[in-house]
Amino acid sequence: MDSTSVVDVGRPAVRRGTLSQFLRGSLKGAEYTWAVAFVVPYIAVFVTFVAYPIVYGVWMGSEASLYRELFADPIYQTTVVNTVLYLALGVNVKMFLALLLSGFFMRPGWWTKLLLLIFVLPWAVPQVSTFVSIHWMLNGEWGFLNNALYKLFHIEGAHWLNDRWTALGAVIVSHIWKWTPFWTLILLAGRMAIPLEIRDTARVDGATGVRGFVYITFPLLANLYLICTLLSTVFLLGDFNTVYFVSGGGPANLTHVLGTLGIRNAFDIAQPRLGVAAVMSALPLVIPLVIVLMRKLRTAEVQL
Amino acid sequence: MARLTRRSVLRGSAALGATRLLAAPHIARAAVTTASVWFAQGFVQDEDVALRKAVADYEKASGNKIELSIIPFAPERQKIISAITSGVVPDMIDSNPAEILQIYGWQDRWVDVSDVVETQKAQFSETALQAAQAYNSVTKKRATYGVPLRAAVVPCHIWKSLVEKAGMKLEDIPKTWDAYFDFFKKVQDNLRKQGERKVYGLGFQVTANGVDPYNLFMAFLLAYGGQDIVTKDGKLHLDDPKVKQAAIKATAYLGGAYRDGYVPPSAINWNDADDNNAFHAKLMVMDVDGTLSTEVAVKDKHPEWYFNEIVTHGVPGYPNDNAGKPIPSIVGYTNGLIPKGAKNVTVAKEFLKYFIQPKVIGEFVELGLGRWLPVMPALAKSPFWQNPKDPHLKGYVQQGLLGATIPDYYVFNVAMAEVRTQHVWSLAMIDVAKDGGKPEAAIDKAFKRIEEIFAKYKMA
Repeated sequence: MDSTSVVDVGRPAVRRGTLSQFLRGSLKGAEYTWAVAFVVPYIAVFVTFVAYPIVYGVWMGSEASLYRELFADPIYQTTVVNTVLYLALGVNVKMFLALLLSGFFMRPGWWTKLLLLIFVLPWAVPQVSTFVSIHWMLNGEWGFLNNALYKLFHIEGAHWLNDRWTALGAVIVSHIWKWTPFWTLILLAGRMAIPLEIRDTARVDGATGVRGFVYITFPLLANLYLICTLLSTVFLLGDFNTVYFVSGGGPANLTHVLGTLGIRNAFDIAQPRLGVAAVMSALPLVIPLVIVLMRKLRTAEVQL
Repeated sequence: MARLTRRSVLRGSAALGATRLLAAPHIARAAVTTASVWFAQGFVQDEDVALRKAVADYEKASGNKIELSIIPFAPERQKIISAITSGVVPDMIDSNPAEILQIYGWQDRWVDVSDVVETQKAQFSETALQAAQAYNSVTKKRATYGVPLRAAVVPCHIWKSLVEKAGMKLEDIPKTWDAYFDFFKKVQDNLRKQGERKVYGLGFQVTANGVDPYNLFMAFLLAYGGQDIVTKDGKLHLDDPKVKQAAIKATAYLGGAYRDGYVPPSAINWNDADDNNAFHAKLMVMDVDGTLSTEVAVKDKHPEWYFNEIVTHGVPGYPNDNAGKPIPSIVGYTNGLIPKGAKNVTVAKEFLKYFIQPKVIGEFVELGLGRWLPVMPALAKSPFWQNPKDPHLKGYVQQGLLGATIPDYYVFNVAMAEVRTQHVWSLAMIDVAKDGGKPEAAIDKAFKRIEEIFAKYKMA
């Protein structure tokens, strides 16, 4: 036996021992077997339903030619503008309203609680049926809104879903209406977590009303607000239901966002890879968002 | 708690393996005689009942088992595309949408079913046989990948009651193209004078959703003389002045009718079922829409509408071109398809052979209330289709089966399927309808896009 073969045989043995020790940790005998038995189903589920779809999606959308075709498509260009507007307005208006409303719902009294109960209803009811109702309500010919306008004021209402900007506006308003209650509850919980002593002390020092909000409440809520905003942005980037059921991406494909364009490309025009590419094109925005979110979550642990 | 050891895990696995081995022959036998079939849900329940009956009859006659999944129209389309993309496919599907035969035929994804079609070849209409074929870009050949099951054509649906309310008569409807549609503009004008605020003359689907707008545009293109846009050899002829003129005229008429207020404004955002719903709500006097779904949907609930108030203009009734010459109708087909990778091609083929026997397939469309047409001319002569008491069926079957018909152009070149799904014609119509664009400019833009699409599909 020469020296080379001694080295070749020896190395894997050392590696196996290290890996085995690393996996076992302080577990021994049956404890280790049980641990493996418990963790294997989780790993199997994770690999099947999390890792595999992501890898498959990346693989499907990996050809450069797909992105050339996508970027040349005028519908994609309109879609990117819509997505940016949807994110900017949908997230920020909703979060700002939620911040204000969470302050309102901090007020004492039984009627505030009752109002809160009614206020969370849009969030509690199923999405699809409410968005379909909004779509019908906005129908230019026989929709509730235009009929009410005509009956009450003899005004012929606009054809809300026939114009890009009013249709996109309807989508954004529907999203805000649907999700403001949820984020209001989160921020309300955040406000309630601010210790009473801090607020009382601030009050004694004269920080009441707007001053109290600016100097005490908001600084303490800032991290939570930012995390909620980031989370909401990530959720909204993948939103499909609001656009699909309120405007249907119309008129003339002018109100698509990346989620609905992906489905259109994949199934309506039978080009699944192009559909995946449309959704994947959001990754340059999603990845930094998730990184910032993770970093902020770590910071938030020591703050509020 | 029992102690879990390496040995106990091995013992358990061995027992499981032994059970699988013992059961294997039974599982294999069941698999050999079972085929999975996907089919789109009907617009009316009778269509599903008809399909279930055909399947049950086959199971009884053959001893084989069909695992039938009836899936709503839009989700089935998504399921088919997902299945073919992933490679996990059923044994048979219907062509939903119709052009999927040509799209995936191009990619060599179907099993050749010419042996199945051969069993009834003499019975099928020539158009059905043409539409069952697709060009395969791998083999560089055209082959039969579809088994024709049912067909549809685009008739006109009219509210007789609204025409009469406007003080006009059905008999006064002109027989030539432009005059025919202009008639309904006059109906609207008269109804408005009577204070009808929300009734429109024409139900044109000037939208970029679904399959209706393409069918509508193609009907107008043919009427104006653009039938050579794609020839049987798959060649595109956008440089033919007749084709260009026809496309401009079609865009001008359809977009212009919307712009001038003769089409419901919401039509610009309609999906396939929306024109049916709007028609039933008497939002418009007439609709140009494929199949008899408009009529059969109300047959049970409103028989008076079906028998007295709604009129179908197939043949006779459907307008001639402006020179008075009849126009061939474009027929769309539902074909039975077997995807490559199907586990039980034998049973799927046997089932299709059973299904296309004239008696079986004839009963299938008749039990479905005649929303779909049969694919064999001999079946059109049945008492069901020729029933003198039914105001819709005879003209519909005459238009789509016994009269002059052609297959859709994606049969000749798959690029036309993408023109259809990308809604190229719709965008031209909308340019004129909503944005006040000139038809010539809209068609220049559309032709440029069509050329780009055709450049992707090079046929040998």
